[in-house]
Amino acid sequence: MTVAAEVADKLGSLGESSAIAMRLRTDQYFDAIQGMLDRFATKKDLDVVYVTSTIPSQSIINALEALEISIDHIWFVDCISQIMMSKEKRHAHTIIVESPTMLENIMLKVEFLLRKHSDRKALIVLDSINSLAIHNNTKILSEFLHILVNNLRSRGAYTVIFSMHEYETEEIRNMLVLVSDETVELGTS
Amino acid sequence: MAAKERSDDERERCLTGIDAIDHILNGGIPRGNTVLISGSVGTGKTSICIEFLIRGALNGENSLYLSVTEPTDKLLVNVIPFDFFEDRLMKQGKLQFIDLPKMYEKLGIDKEDLDFDQTRLLADTIVQTVEDQKIRRLVLDSVTSVCYRIKDQERIRDFLLRLGTELSSKDCTTLLVSEIMSSEEGYSRWGVEEAIADGVIVTGNLERRGDLLRTLQIVKMRGTTHSRAKYVLDLTTSGVLLVPLLKGGSVTGGG
Repeated sequence: MTVAAEVADKLGSLGESSAIAMRLRTDQYFDAIQGMLDRFATKKDLDVVYVTSTIPSQSIINALEALEISIDHIWFVDCISQIMMSKEKRHAHTIIVESPTMLENIMLKVEFLLRKHSDRKALIVLDSINSLAIHNNTKILSEFLHILVNNLRSRGAYTVIFSMHEYETEEIRNMLVLVSDETVELGTS
Repeated sequence: MAAKERSDDERERCLTGIDAIDHILNGGIPRGNTVLISGSVGTGKTSICIEFLIRGALNGENSLYLSVTEPTDKLLVNVIPFDFFEDRLMKQGKLQFIDLPKMYEKLGIDKEDLDFDQTRLLADTIVQTVEDQKIRRLVLDSVTSVCYRIKDQERIRDFLLRLGTELSSKDCTTLLVSEIMSSEEGYSRWGVEEAIADGVIVTGNLERRGDLLRTLQIVKMRGTTHSRAKYVLDLTTSGVLLVPLLKGGSVTGGG
């Protein structure tokens, strides 16, 4: 089974309002995104709010376009482009948060996008816990995840939190266990 | 015998329409309250007030904005283009804007300082306008500018008490904008405003590790129980949004 198919399959077996910790290797990254956005979200007719603090949203958009995946129902909360002083043109589906340390602003932008498209069910992707952990201490990050995930759960939204095997620490693993309902390990089936 | 326990259901509420604020206030501002919205520049006071009026007008309540410092046409150009705003509200007179300098002119108030009679006349004219137009929501932006012209603390007290009492008796819920310096202690320039108001909502800027966050805190609201925690604010086209301020950020040495 390909990584993309495995992701779609595992997410498809989970109920709405689920918070999922998705543990993957860096070489599985783009395949996992494809499986999640193209195969899972499209099939379920979900709006996607993609919070990226790992790579600029434009890089993900470029990859999706290369794979001919429509981004009509995907919106990005980009927490990294501004801090990188990126001069890339901002896509109409991208909202910038000045820095990954502004965790409250991430919550506010997610809230804004969910209100804008409140007529559809949503999938919120947090890419990734590891890159957020570079900029924030464990205490504030746990608090952020706890509030965000519970809020999304109460709205019936799916939440997927990416965690890269290579950059995981004991603290991150504990944090994910605390906030998520399920852990999906890629490459184990 | 134990005193009767007060419940939040005792007073009719004025739903601000800003979900998070209504949630913090357990159902909105008690109807008829006079509330000070206090904060330094750029913290969202005017946006909160305008959303409060638009939401009220959409709900069928006549709403009035009294602009002291900025001419209405300039204000409307710069205000956030809220998704929920409808032109008909102004055409139907549900949402009205009046420049206070024009009211001064009509009343023949041409001196910079207002004496006792002129202060009374101003308060009575505002109350009369509220009565004539059946206004249920009023914003005075800013009360600080009016107080600058009144100057004397006793007259300011008299003006605010008269305004608050009369407007409350007409079930008009009022927001008074108070401009303060970020370094200032207290919630108003003259100190009198916060003591007389039924409620105080404070907006501010919080610097955390070089990031500047807009914040909001409700420190006082007569007639309801409410959270006194600090929230982070965002001004969006969908309206004013709030989320709790994360406490981990305030831990000394905590990243």
